[in-house]
Amino acid sequence: MQAHQRFQVIDVPMAADAEATLPALVEAVKHALSNGRQAEIVERGEAARKAFAEGKARTRAAAALGWDASPISTARLCMELYATIRDLDWSLVASEGNVSNWPNRLWPIDKYHQWLGRSGGYGVGYGAPASVGAALANRDLGRFSVSIQSDGDLMYAPGVLWTAAKHKIPLLAVMHNNRAYHQEVMHVQRLSNFRNRPVNLGGDMGPVGTSIQNPDIEYHKLAESMGWWAKGPIKDPAQLGPALKEAARVVQAGQPALLNVWTQPR
Amino acid sequence: MMIGRWPFIVLFALAANAVGGGALAADGSAEKGKIAYVKHGCWQCHGFAAQGGIAGPKLAPDPMPLVALTSFVRNTRGAMPPYQDAILSNADLADIHAWLASLPKATDFRSIPLLNP
Repeated sequence: MQAHQRFQVIDVPMAADAEATLPALVEAVKHALSNGRQAEIVERGEAARKAFAEGKARTRAAAALGWDASPISTARLCMELYATIRDLDWSLVASEGNVSNWPNRLWPIDKYHQWLGRSGGYGVGYGAPASVGAALANRDLGRFSVSIQSDGDLMYAPGVLWTAAKHKIPLLAVMHNNRAYHQEVMHVQRLSNFRNRPVNLGGDMGPVGTSIQNPDIEYHKLAESMGWWAKGPIKDPAQLGPALKEAARVVQAGQPALLNVWTQPR
Repeated sequence: MMIGRWPFIVLFALAANAVGGGALAADGSAEKGKIAYVKHGCWQCHGFAAQGGIAGPKLAPDPMPLVALTSFVRNTRGAMPPYQDAILSNADLADIHAWLASLPKATDFRSIPLLNP
């Protein structure tokens, strides 16, 4: 424990850039390899490529489950979105693990700016303000910013919507609206089960204290009231693709746009 | 050949013992099961179409046998909390299983253009 996260002792301090250094380092290692070792690596690479392809097929098969369901599956949400942005210089500026990590599992992500990562902790209410901040940075670089915006997350700091409209920050916010603070669901369920008590008191679908229902929040109207172009609620998966294309055109014209999409829980 | 069957028989007996309580009905109602699936919150992790996701695996199509499902639900010590008979009866479980078994096969992903970009 004493050595945990301590800096290692170094002989020659040298400031360096990993991105700039790595290609040269890879070449140097290749030259230093024996022929036998090179053949082993080629063989291992072929096995890894085969395993990768098989894994991709399994992931796509999993994404096909519930493809036409309503509320819309998170896999369908993400792939309809990818089809909309794939030919643009896109940047996914916020998407927590709430959509079963489909973008990371199914989208080709090969540029640094295409995935800005997560909050770094367990940032409650992080998504909305983080995505507006990142979209501001992307605006000047001509990039198309998109966020997968959770409904519970947006409840913490919705005022950031006004900031985006006020400063004409183009951002496509596609809502993963599962109508719940879903992160808490299983904690409540676990304790109720432990005490053999019903977790649902009726009225709402989820465990007591976790649902955002009755009334359902009309996030598209919330966004509209703060100057966004907005549409929803979209519950039919067949309507999602055309609505995304419409919203994307608004964003490309320099305005923020929000689609309120009713989705599966995860 | 007979020796190969023993592990299955022993596991079946253990599972049935672990389930305890009332007998498992193999002829549940899919119609009631669809309602029970929502009422008991199975959708919370497994989705309304039982499709699964990051919070829980898919339950259908091709659900596990009812005895295995019941044993797991009663005794799990993993991420999913156990459900006792007081809050989820064997009859409801049989109905849920019947609904899961009634769900159609998934569309082949190779026929979905968005999954083959």
